[in-house]
Amino acid sequence: MNENEALKQWKKTSIMIGSPTNILAAATAFLPVLWLCTQYNCWPPVSTVLTAWAMIAASFGALWFCEPISYYASLGLTGTYLSFFAGNIGNMRVPCASLALDVTKSVPGTLQAEIVSTLAICGSVFTNLIGTTSAVIVGSAVLSVLPQFIVDGLTVYASSAIFGATFGNFAVKYPQIAVFGLAIPVILKMVPGLPAAVVIVITVFGTLLIARMFYTKGIIKA
Amino acid sequence: MENLAGMSNIEQVQTVSNAPIFWVLCGITVALSAVQAILYMRQSFATAKKVNLDPKIPREAFRIGFISAIGPALGVFIVMVGLMASIGGPMAWLRLSIIGAAATELTAANVGAEACGVTLGSEQYTLVCLAVSWFTMALNGMGWLLFTGVATPSLEKLRDKVSGGDMKWLGVLSAACSLGIFGYLNAGEIHKGIGNTIAVLAGAVSMVAVVNTVCKKHPKLLEYSLGIAMIVGMIFAIGYDQLFK
Repeated sequence: MNENEALKQWKKTSIMIGSPTNILAAATAFLPVLWLCTQYNCWPPVSTVLTAWAMIAASFGALWFCEPISYYASLGLTGTYLSFFAGNIGNMRVPCASLALDVTKSVPGTLQAEIVSTLAICGSVFTNLIGTTSAVIVGSAVLSVLPQFIVDGLTVYASSAIFGATFGNFAVKYPQIAVFGLAIPVILKMVPGLPAAVVIVITVFGTLLIARMFYTKGIIKA
Repeated sequence: MENLAGMSNIEQVQTVSNAPIFWVLCGITVALSAVQAILYMRQSFATAKKVNLDPKIPREAFRIGFISAIGPALGVFIVMVGLMASIGGPMAWLRLSIIGAAATELTAANVGAEACGVTLGSEQYTLVCLAVSWFTMALNGMGWLLFTGVATPSLEKLRDKVSGGDMKWLGVLSAACSLGIFGYLNAGEIHKGIGNTIAVLAGAVSMVAVVNTVCKKHPKLLEYSLGIAMIVGMIFAIGYDQLFK
């Protein structure tokens, strides 16, 4: 089987697995609340639920669409299904996938890159599930013996360091693009009241546009 | 079912939101996430074999993901213990195993309470309000799950179109996209204050240093580079806090 055919088959199977599981998960996530209302007879008025829905959509609604679109080039097809089901995208999925691509020297867009990033994300999904499940079992006990500064470090600074590390790794390869990738959101974030979704979209597509300009002018090479 | 008679509202909410049955009901979605990952692993290993990929590569990719996620998972672990106290064990377990970070879920739980005109965790927060909070979390998560469940194939077509089949440009495109995203995430951290900015800088510098010096001689260490960078970033930020705060 040649690479092109295999890649086509890969994409087809990926959609067949990812699409139904993500849609099903959207539904099964309602099971606990439906059971709660039925068993304890505590159905809230529909209007209250709709109000809450509208309120949460005002904060996150734009992100439901903007995040999958903005992350797509970094995550790929399978990576998008896996990551938007399992969450922790910026602090876990993308860093793991891009490190795995680096280590195995895989070229984006190839079948090898798809396989490598998929497996790296799968590995990280299991680690996260082990983490949350063990938090249930031994969480409070572990937390009570950990020194406060370690707890602070992990909750306040771990993500910052991982974001910095992943950015640094890309920045070394494309320093000209990195300058804009960081400058655009830093400036946008100073504008009061600008919604997160707007900042993400302008940053990602602004950076892409600049990268395209540099690429066609030969300022950067692949 | 629990006997709730004679309990205050706070006690009722606490008892019900930690009732054993909810571990099972929340477990269904958590298990589905594991099933999806297992299906994708099977597909990956089968495809790798079919195209005669060096069998070391898929195994290494999985290991890198598994190991590199340990650091961030420790962060999730700690946040979850806090979230269990405020939204109940089973729901915290479900919400942090799928899309939606702790801050997102806390916002959703609070929005549910607000829609009822009460405060989360107060005596006015009844089982009805708990239901609104749980609905809000499920409705919020549904946004990402449904959009990706339905629109992901179109996003693939969009990427093909933007890349125009130019593989070199696709490489630059993917890197530029990641730089944009992590630029955005880092900008958020930098705006939080000096401690976070130090963590970002120390994480970036140590990652670049480790990858380009030690790992050149010992490629095995690359797998741990993200973990090393995370620890270095944390040490510098905590050090700043200890010395100057």
